[in-house]
Amino acid sequence: MNNNTQSMAFDWRGFTGYLPFLVFILMLGYLGYSAPNLLTAESIDLILRQSVPTVVVCLGLAVVVIAGGDDVVSGGIDLSIPAAAVLAAAIIADQLTNHGTAFVPALSMAMCAAMLVGVVNAFLVVRVGMTPLLATLATSVATVGITKVVTASRRINVDHPTIVGLRDNELYGLSVGVLLTMVLVVIFYAAVHRSKWGMNLQAVGGNRDAADISGIPVRRMLAQSFVVASMAGGLASVFILARGSGSSPGSEENLLLEMILATFLGAAFSPRRVVTLWGAVLGAVLVTALSIGFKSIGVNVFWTGCIKGALILFVVATAALATGKK
Amino acid sequence: MVDALHAPSYLQMSAISKAFPGVQALDKASLSVSSSEIHGLVGENGAGKSTIIKVLAGVYSPDAGSIVIDNVEQDRHSPGSVHDAGVRFIHQELNLVPHFTVAESVFMGQEISGPLGVRKRLMRKRAEEFLELSLHYRLNGNKLIRDLGVAERKLVQIARALIDNEAKVVVFDEPTGPLASNEVEQLFSAIRALRERGIAIIYVSHYLGEITDLCDRVTVFRNGQDVAVLAGADAANSQTIIQHMVGRDITTLYPERRKVGKKPMLECSNLSCRPHFSGVNLQVNSSEIVGIAGLVGSGREELIDVLYGLKTAQSGTVTLDGQPLHVDSPHIAVKNGIVLVPRDRRNTGLVLDMSVADNINLASLDEVSSYSIERKKPGKIRATALAKKLDIRPDNVSAIVRFLSGGNQQKVVLARWLATGSKLFIMDEPTIGVDIGAKVEIYQLISDLAHGGESADSALEGSSELAGDDNPAGVIISSSDPTELLGLCDRIIVLLRGEVIADKPVEELTLDSLLALTTGGNVRTTDEPLHSQ
Repeated sequence: MNNNTQSMAFDWRGFTGYLPFLVFILMLGYLGYSAPNLLTAESIDLILRQSVPTVVVCLGLAVVVIAGGDDVVSGGIDLSIPAAAVLAAAIIADQLTNHGTAFVPALSMAMCAAMLVGVVNAFLVVRVGMTPLLATLATSVATVGITKVVTASRRINVDHPTIVGLRDNELYGLSVGVLLTMVLVVIFYAAVHRSKWGMNLQAVGGNRDAADISGIPVRRMLAQSFVVASMAGGLASVFILARGSGSSPGSEENLLLEMILATFLGAAFSPRRVVTLWGAVLGAVLVTALSIGFKSIGVNVFWTGCIKGALILFVVATAALATGKK
Repeated sequence: MVDALHAPSYLQMSAISKAFPGVQALDKASLSVSSSEIHGLVGENGAGKSTIIKVLAGVYSPDAGSIVIDNVEQDRHSPGSVHDAGVRFIHQELNLVPHFTVAESVFMGQEISGPLGVRKRLMRKRAEEFLELSLHYRLNGNKLIRDLGVAERKLVQIARALIDNEAKVVVFDEPTGPLASNEVEQLFSAIRALRERGIAIIYVSHYLGEITDLCDRVTVFRNGQDVAVLAGADAANSQTIIQHMVGRDITTLYPERRKVGKKPMLECSNLSCRPHFSGVNLQVNSSEIVGIAGLVGSGREELIDVLYGLKTAQSGTVTLDGQPLHVDSPHIAVKNGIVLVPRDRRNTGLVLDMSVADNINLASLDEVSSYSIERKKPGKIRATALAKKLDIRPDNVSAIVRFLSGGNQQKVVLARWLATGSKLFIMDEPTIGVDIGAKVEIYQLISDLAHGGESADSALEGSSELAGDDNPAGVIISSSDPTELLGLCDRIIVLLRGEVIADKPVEELTLDSLLALTTGGNVRTTDEPLHSQ
């Protein structure tokens, strides 16, 4: 009897979950209409190449949100991934260009530095008990500071063959960078959505008490999620270097915006209305498409930032509405 | 049914004692359960039921006593060792992830995984098989938890505890709280199916009707001890169970009953706030104390919330002194003279780090302020007078409330509202955590409040300007203590699963009949008012 009345009434909460998706499709539709060359094979290739760093950091954020729950205030979030990625990019650029280090040792150093950020986050959240939002905001600011020290706040160009090859070489008509990212996505997907570890991670994020009672090591899983996220940040550094032919300080800001927008937008694509890896990846590609679209119809860069900020608010607010206040 | 009396005990807890600071929670209590038996565990709040369950779970270590499971003495008792011994707990809360499927939930923490990752299809098949074979219920393993009914979620929770097929003892802690009565039957058939498989079941519940329906034997707890183990016809008779549960006599605690006013003060008709309660009619006259009885989950707490504007009713009307009133926030309630003495006084009743005087004047600052600036002196005089009247100790109104005893803190809350001259007092568990001496004083105070302060020993000479002293008020008391309601109230309404099943003058009620009503003890055997709709 109860079910009947429910199905008769319009499901507003379910509808709010779809809103960001609808708005995005409308915006992309508008851009596709005003800039017809946005939908050519060439610009789609460009969109994919440009989206690679965002996709990789989104993988990291998705893991943290899945493990921490999608409550906008107290749930899982890691604002420091882009800062860790840019720090790692600065270290690689500095080592390759200024010290003549080989690629693999430079990458190893960068990965260590990025993952150190994740370890600090894990410590602050799991041991000290800070909310992820504040803890990762603090580490993010500190990491940006360290990056400035490493680079003396200057741009470092990179012309190392590995980095250049990542951008320019193609395989089966796709750039090597895009292909490598696809491999990363598959690995992350297998870990989060197919493995036992991933199922436990989802359980921790879905209902921490339930996971605890089921014998899942909740604190360890949470700590791991932050370390995995920073690992994604470290890996993203290589693609950041390839995209920008070097490291430039300050690029973490835009990356942060796009990462959050893409990951939470992704929840609107998932049938269960929760943050997923696929959703985050698709979100990252769409957000990049939006940026490129704005550029191609000549919208001022500053306005683009403003619009993205407003979109984040919109996406996160609808997520809060859809998960339902009590 | 198995002859449980003569079967050997699978689980034997003997002479368990457990003390907490100031309380002997368990005093040489014993509990023994056989395989293939559904064993009920009943007792009033504070009788020691939940303590013994927590001792069994390894959450508390007992001060004395022994636990034997399957003829093995458990000397190092921990949550892990209890699990290994095959004891499983079905917790009261539905600990599930809303966006997980049935299969994912059943296998949570014990997923089956192969070389290609988690084997979702196999998990689904096993989960569905288990639900059908062991719990006699068909459920699609791909359905999301949030699309299930409460009873189905409960079954998923049970399946999760039992899926490893190692369970020998299953403890159900108040499993039916959120269930509708037809859903209870679903759960019962699952529990009976478990008994057929030779599992020992401990069933803890406040609903005596369920205990008598379901259980083969019943252990009754009172004051930290097992006072009776009932079997056969005794275990099926809620009257017998109640007799063992109560066994105490207190009448002098309560003030003399006085005359009830004729003028209706508050009238609610057909008030509904689904899914908590529906169709509630409630009338409170001036100088009348009306009690609301009901178990946790009966809608009692939510009814209070609606009357005070903390929750909004979906339908129904409320009139106060004949005027229609729409209470949609506590602010509106207080403005119209309705005040709440909340159950959780430390968090919602008091500002713990403020003084007694400041707490008392909190709701009536207008009267002790000029040009919106609080004048300390009149406030202090007023507070001192009230504190004296209520015998708040220490008698220094500058004392910080945090350091007062529970009873004195409650008196501070009462003093605050006394100062406002309110018409209707809603009191939620007014004496919870209060010692017996302070209880008597609070009861007297409530009675005085209802009758306009015309008490014999009106301690406050020459302070008739204090509001609350000459205008009679209506009082609503929501309490989980039936003796308190019977001693204090003029009339009692009883809520069961969101519906008013009785509205009677207190003279027509006895402790037994009130307990039977609140626990649904005689609902199922005599008539079926729950299904009428």
